[in-house]
Amino acid sequence: MIPAPFEYVRVGSVDEAVDALSEHGEEATLLAGGHSLLPLMRLRLAVPEVLVDLGRVDELRGVRDAGDHLAVGAMTTHHQVMSDPLVREHCGVLAEVTGEVGDPQVRHRGTIGGACAHGDAAGDHPACLLALDATMVARDPGGTREITAADFFTGIFETALAPDEVLTEVHLPKLDGSWGFDYQKFQRVKQAWAIVGACALVRREDGRIGEARVGLTNLGSVPVRATGTERLLAGAAAEPDALREAAAQAAEGTQPPTDSNARPDYRRHLARVLTLRALQNSLAS
Amino acid sequence: MRSSTGTGTVPRERGRVTGGVGDSARRPDGAPKVDGSFAFSSDLWADDMLWGRTLRSPHPSARIRSVDVERARRIDGVVAVVTADDVPGSPCFGLEHRDQPVFAHDVVRFHGEPVAAVAAVHPEIAARACEAIEVDYAELDPLLDPEAAIDADPIHPDGNVVRHLRIRHGDVDAGGDVTVEGTYELGMQDQAFMGPESGLAIPDDAGGVDLYISTQWLHVDRDQVAACLGLPTEQVRLTLSGVGGAFGAREDVSLQVHVCLLALRTGRPVKMLYSREESFLGHVHRHPGRLWYRHHATADGDLVKVEARIVLDGGAYASSSSAVIANASCFAAGPYRMPNATVDGYVVRTNNPPCGAMRGFGAVQACFGYEAQMDKLAAALGVDPVELRLRNALAPGDSLITGQVIRGTAPVREVIEAARAHPLPPDPDGRPEVLLPGGTGLTASRGDVRRGVGFAVGFKNVAYSEGFDDYATASVRLEEGVDGEPVATVHSAAAEVGQGLVTLAQQVVRTELGVERVILRPADTSIGSAGSSSASRQAWMTGGAVQAACNAVKETLLRRVAGAHGVDVEGARRQLLVVRDGWVTHVEGDLRLSLVEALDGRPVEQVSVYRHAPTTPLDPDGQGDAHVAFVFAAHRAVVDVDQELGLIRVLQVATGQDVGRALNPVQVTGQIEGGIAQGVGLAVMEEVVMDDGRVRNASFVDYLIPTALDMPEVAATLVEQPEPGAPFGAKGVGEPPTISSTAAVVAAVRDATGLELRRVPIRPEHIALAAGSGADGT
Ligand SMILES: Cc1cc2nc3c(=O)[nH]c(=O)nc-3n(C[C@H](O)[C@H](O)[C@H](O)COP(=O)(O)OP(=O)(O)OC[C@H]3O[C@@H](n4cnc5c(N)ncnc54)[C@H](O)[C@@H]3O)c2cc1C
Repeated sequence: MIPAPFEYVRVGSVDEAVDALSEHGEEATLLAGGHSLLPLMRLRLAVPEVLVDLGRVDELRGVRDAGDHLAVGAMTTHHQVMSDPLVREHCGVLAEVTGEVGDPQVRHRGTIGGACAHGDAAGDHPACLLALDATMVARDPGGTREITAADFFTGIFETALAPDEVLTEVHLPKLDGSWGFDYQKFQRVKQAWAIVGACALVRREDGRIGEARVGLTNLGSVPVRATGTERLLAGAAAEPDALREAAAQAAEGTQPPTDSNARPDYRRHLARVLTLRALQNSLAS
Repeated sequence: MRSSTGTGTVPRERGRVTGGVGDSARRPDGAPKVDGSFAFSSDLWADDMLWGRTLRSPHPSARIRSVDVERARRIDGVVAVVTADDVPGSPCFGLEHRDQPVFAHDVVRFHGEPVAAVAAVHPEIAARACEAIEVDYAELDPLLDPEAAIDADPIHPDGNVVRHLRIRHGDVDAGGDVTVEGTYELGMQDQAFMGPESGLAIPDDAGGVDLYISTQWLHVDRDQVAACLGLPTEQVRLTLSGVGGAFGAREDVSLQVHVCLLALRTGRPVKMLYSREESFLGHVHRHPGRLWYRHHATADGDLVKVEARIVLDGGAYASSSSAVIANASCFAAGPYRMPNATVDGYVVRTNNPPCGAMRGFGAVQACFGYEAQMDKLAAALGVDPVELRLRNALAPGDSLITGQVIRGTAPVREVIEAARAHPLPPDPDGRPEVLLPGGTGLTASRGDVRRGVGFAVGFKNVAYSEGFDDYATASVRLEEGVDGEPVATVHSAAAEVGQGLVTLAQQVVRTELGVERVILRPADTSIGSAGSSSASRQAWMTGGAVQAACNAVKETLLRRVAGAHGVDVEGARRQLLVVRDGWVTHVEGDLRLSLVEALDGRPVEQVSVYRHAPTTPLDPDGQGDAHVAFVFAAHRAVVDVDQELGLIRVLQVATGQDVGRALNPVQVTGQIEGGIAQGVGLAVMEEVVMDDGRVRNASFVDYLIPTALDMPEVAATLVEQPEPGAPFGAKGVGEPPTISSTAAVVAAVRDATGLELRRVPIRPEHIALAAGSGADGT
């Protein structure tokens, strides 16, 4: 289908974007890589009256070292993220996860800001950012605020962003060498969306697990943390039995969706298996 | 890799022209398809054309209380709205039975059944007009269970059982030392071609219409369109436009009648182009089936008897169901000597989507059942499954369970040996991670993966069966081109659907006439029928027709030369004058003319009709010489399975295929690879998911097909034993790759997991949730 008619505004800076959003209110929608928005517009599931194109907002592109964290501009493409030396050095897990997104065409157009603001629990980024305890930076006419990943993803395709807010940056904590990580993405055909995904981060501490964080993809209406698993692993011995026992809790309290790919019981099963493997690989990495 | 087995040598080259029969000649449409300049039917365009759109039923079963089109008609830009009341001729169409309404009138019988159609100046306006049509439905309980349909109240005036085929062969009371039993199920596969249904109808000034359409059989479309429009066939002219894949889904009428009706109504050209979703709803699928089998064998492993009950779900309308169940039943024992058989095949109407032709056509369903049984039998006997197959393999002179004796070639042992001879792929260790199950998702690690190997053999008929008058027409014209070189032009109504018939027609002419330049006229209905591009038949049938037309051209030319040069060609002396290597020569004299000299400025054109040897209908016991020839193939699949996740990676499919003779080895290999892709798809992912009679996954996001990255390595051996009576000795090659590849993949997964896996496609949870739970996986 052809999208409904819309007005097109190209902005050159974040300030202009914020102005455009406050001028047009709820009618306006930001356009980043368009890889989620345009399909929705063609199906007329999204009918924005004004499209505000961030494509030329250079200040939103690139990765910056901000001391204890990295600041990734919202318009940085997936390809740029996964090949960025700073990301690879300090936050390798995001590079790995981003490498699993779609195919090369998608990765060259899609952006980290779009992937977050789209708020899709089946997307690969949200679970990873949740596990990372990343922080989102948003700006509206009143100024800038920070939103933790845990507060950011609020519902099915819903985020904490207000209609007149622009997501400007994603702040990633730097992980030192004591952290291992792994992302397990289950799909039935190559380059497809995750049916379930598990993103693990494990801090090793003298043969024990100092801390473990697990984010789960597509196991509910929002990305979730496998809190039961995490709790069992805090301070646990880095041994197979401990991992297995903890991973068995991965699906506790989740309400997985049902669709033609998988029923909830199978999704829970996958969450347990993928969590275990992600933990094992994290310890080995 | 190819090997020639069997007797005699195959004459490879008759003329010195290149690109003849046996060469891997290049496709005339190859480069345009790669560079994007090839025009598919979706690219059709006419000035001032309108866009047609179909309104479809959202319900699998409902009574239509009323259809109100007034609101739609008043929309600006809408030019016509038509319903069942506007169909001037036969209200129904159908391939075998005219049982399917052009538009539903009083009831709808499946989700997606057309109810009305609209022509408007823009496709979006047409879409909105469809939304504005008010249909008042009274929903009914859909009949969805094919087994129940046999005795249920009929959902159609013609009853629910479209055909019950009964086969009784040999001693029906015979028994063996060992019996194995099983029930097997197949989900609904879609042909999943890439080019959606599309066509352009242009009305003429005399009440007739020209239809440009992608289809498999122009004439059968024409006859149905003409009948529904109430026009004589001369007033409905069809021309083939670029076909983006077919695989059986284009055998039935989809939009043909609708688009012509709208063109005649509006007096303007009308184009229709289905969306992907509409395409899924608008064409037939492969019959889902449930097959019960019991096999009897001696303790030594000789097959004694097969008992089978096969129930295929034909969906709401008959389509080609009768022929599909005939194949499933006739070939229910597989390519094995089976002295005794009782087979009952049913194909029934339900409120599921109509099912019809798809590559393999009934043989696929049966093969999934009997090959699982052969493995079970081997296990029960404690013998190697491949040895059991070799021991019972059909050979020329053996008879089928229909009593038909195989008079042609039947290299069953040879295809099995050839498939087995390919080296196995290397061990999982040391392979790149992307080759593990899960591939790019990196979900499997080596320790989780188990290897399995499975084997299956299948067969089916070539061309049409059961006494059908199966023929193909072609004309060949030979003349001097503007550059003074001879040029031949072929005309036929045979549909090029991607299989490479256009290449083959050129090759046949090059070989027969020694002419390098062969032009193909567009396929249309101004010449006689070529039959359908289905049943692996066009290489044989249209190949035969083109060859016959070439011979008729030669004959005319030689008589002309004989007259002009006073050569005596009476009786046996006729043999002395020949066309060879592009020259007309007299074997005894010194007459030697180029083709252009022989033509002497006057073109020669001949039309020929080719028929294969006649077949007969089946008698009440399902006995008879119903088929003209048989093709065989064996597949060995190697899989890696991550049992905990249920993920399967098909690593390799090795095959030996009986091709008669490879007319174009590259194209044969292409058919084998493509057919195996569809076979692998049915084994592990492809299914039209139904939910209470509604299609749940009418898109390529949710209907999964193997991508290039999911495809296994294919190792193929072409087994060449020329088929007597077939032009150039070639059998069809399109379908055998799909018949047993599915069964082989499933056998390999069973080998890896130890699960029974009675249903395809195997879903990951069938493996993952069965493992450790003690269940056997369904
Ligand atoms: C074929 C295909 C396959 C894909 N496969 C995957 C996959 O496997 N895994 C996966 O995770 N994703 C996948 N995607 C989605 C891809 O990652 C998208 O690029 C991403 O989800 C959205 O990024 P975008 O830049 O295209 O955003 P857009 O589509 O432009 O925007 C998405 C939404 O975010 C809003 N938005 C964008 N930028 C901002 C901002 N700075 N501030 C506030 N709001 C903003 C927009 O208004 C819109 O609502 C796939 C997409 C396609 C087309």
